[in-house]
Amino acid sequence: MSTFFWLIRREFWENRAFWLVPSSISVLLILAALFGRVDLRIVTSAAQTTAFGGMLLGVFGVAFLLVMSLYSTWYLVDCLYAERRDGSILFWKSLPVTDTAAVLAKLATALIVIPLVYFIAADITTLLIAFILSLRAGALVEGSFWHADLWLQLQVTWLYLIITIAIWYLPVAAWLMLISAWAKRSVTLWALLVPLAAHWAARAFFGTNVIGNQIMDRLVGFAARAFHLRADGARWPELPGNVAGLFNPGGFLTSPATWIGVAVGIALILCTIRIRSRSAEI
Amino acid sequence: MSQSTSALIEARGLTKKYGEHVALDHVNFTVERGRVVGLIGPNGAGKTTAMRAILGLTTYEGDLRVVGREPLRERAKLMIDVAFIADVAVLPQWLRVDQAVDFLAGVHPRFRRERALGLLAKTRIAHKQRIRDLSKGMKTQVHLALTMAIDARLLVLDEPTVGLDLIARRGFYDALVNDYLDETRTILITTHQVEEVEKLLTDILFIDRGRIVLDSSVERLAGTFAAIAVSAEQLDAARSEKPFFEQRTPGKTVLYFEHPDLSRLASLGQIHTPSVADLFVAKLTGGAR
Repeated sequence: MSTFFWLIRREFWENRAFWLVPSSISVLLILAALFGRVDLRIVTSAAQTTAFGGMLLGVFGVAFLLVMSLYSTWYLVDCLYAERRDGSILFWKSLPVTDTAAVLAKLATALIVIPLVYFIAADITTLLIAFILSLRAGALVEGSFWHADLWLQLQVTWLYLIITIAIWYLPVAAWLMLISAWAKRSVTLWALLVPLAAHWAARAFFGTNVIGNQIMDRLVGFAARAFHLRADGARWPELPGNVAGLFNPGGFLTSPATWIGVAVGIALILCTIRIRSRSAEI
Repeated sequence: MSQSTSALIEARGLTKKYGEHVALDHVNFTVERGRVVGLIGPNGAGKTTAMRAILGLTTYEGDLRVVGREPLRERAKLMIDVAFIADVAVLPQWLRVDQAVDFLAGVHPRFRRERALGLLAKTRIAHKQRIRDLSKGMKTQVHLALTMAIDARLLVLDEPTVGLDLIARRGFYDALVNDYLDETRTILITTHQVEEVEKLLTDILFIDRGRIVLDSSVERLAGTFAAIAVSAEQLDAARSEKPFFEQRTPGKTVLYFEHPDLSRLASLGQIHTPSVADLFVAKLTGGAR
């Protein structure tokens, strides 16, 4: 277990962007809250201020989530390629650390550790911004941010997102790591071209879009699986009403797509471990 | 594993092919405890491939045991007992010296932090420096300090001084001799620069085109090989003793013999035991005929 701790810690040493990027977003947002023009005259009723508070927090959360997804993707593409490119894999392999531990530590970094860092950064940021806006806007929004309920829901939403994203995107993450461990160059190109080629081949030779559809579903189908999003009653719940009511853990965990994805992800990770254990260099 | 045998490396029929190219061709050798073995060969002879196999970094055919383990299958366990430096460039550029020490202390059960810090204190390297900001020589000093702080049963050095200037190369081997080497240590060194390791070695393995062409202890070399410098008049007489290599120097020709009849050679000139470096050249150019 201590080995795993050090492997994660070493990722922080190598990738200072882990905390530099989220803290930069924090600083920008806080500066905006401090010096931006605050005009909340549209917000008149108490119900509106609460809805506004919740929305603002939601928007910040989405900003952090977007940057996090981009960064994690880049990290996964690069993580096993970089150590081969600069030859440092020979140093890591001179230590009593299994390839399994090394690969799993990087996977956990991308799917758990980085999201947690962004979660904490988003939390601190929203707290500070809520405080700043409350002071600056005074009576207008007073109290709108300070519902214990709202805060609790924000935490629960983040944790639910981290867990479901980690499960749903496991095969995508595993695929990127596999290419990162295997490709001699142009990792991103390989990571994109192989699925595209598989789709074209399936369509050309078997007249089926099944591969393309599966890939698209994996990339964009997350929200529809993990949340109750219905086209018919597209009614956003009252904030700080019941955000948790949007969660669909039952549907997510009983969907075959979820577990097929997990199985594919595990298979790809096993391949990645095998590749790393057999080839030390590019 | 058998504790009874003192062999730390045992290779039987070790073979590695890259497609059509045979990098190692049924190689047999043994490295015993307490020996300092030089695996010496020209570029492309199979040295690095042999090292990669020994360190569990590549697949191979044949039977290979290192500290009683199968390297590829048990690399992580192997690395508790085996320390290695593959090349000067392998320490990660972004790593700080103190982080390297912390990390090794965290993951390596045989790493002794105090010893690493003591060895680093002998250098001019600051703990907060990043590897990328160090000179090549200093990177090597860091790597050697980290490696010597591991209580390993076997130390493997694969071309450890490639790309270093003369001063740094000397510094590397001086540190190794002064701070590490004693009769309990077992070291396997690959290099194509024979001169710089010659004094350290107790055993030599010459490798050429995937085959071991000489496997001998250094003491035994004197009884096996002889060189004799003869003048032109005695050249024909000396040649009749079947030298395996001739080297022309101004005014003299040096002839190299394997298992010579010393009494007959003695009349032709001054017999001496060739240096490992000379023998390397003789064996690899002469042996190829």
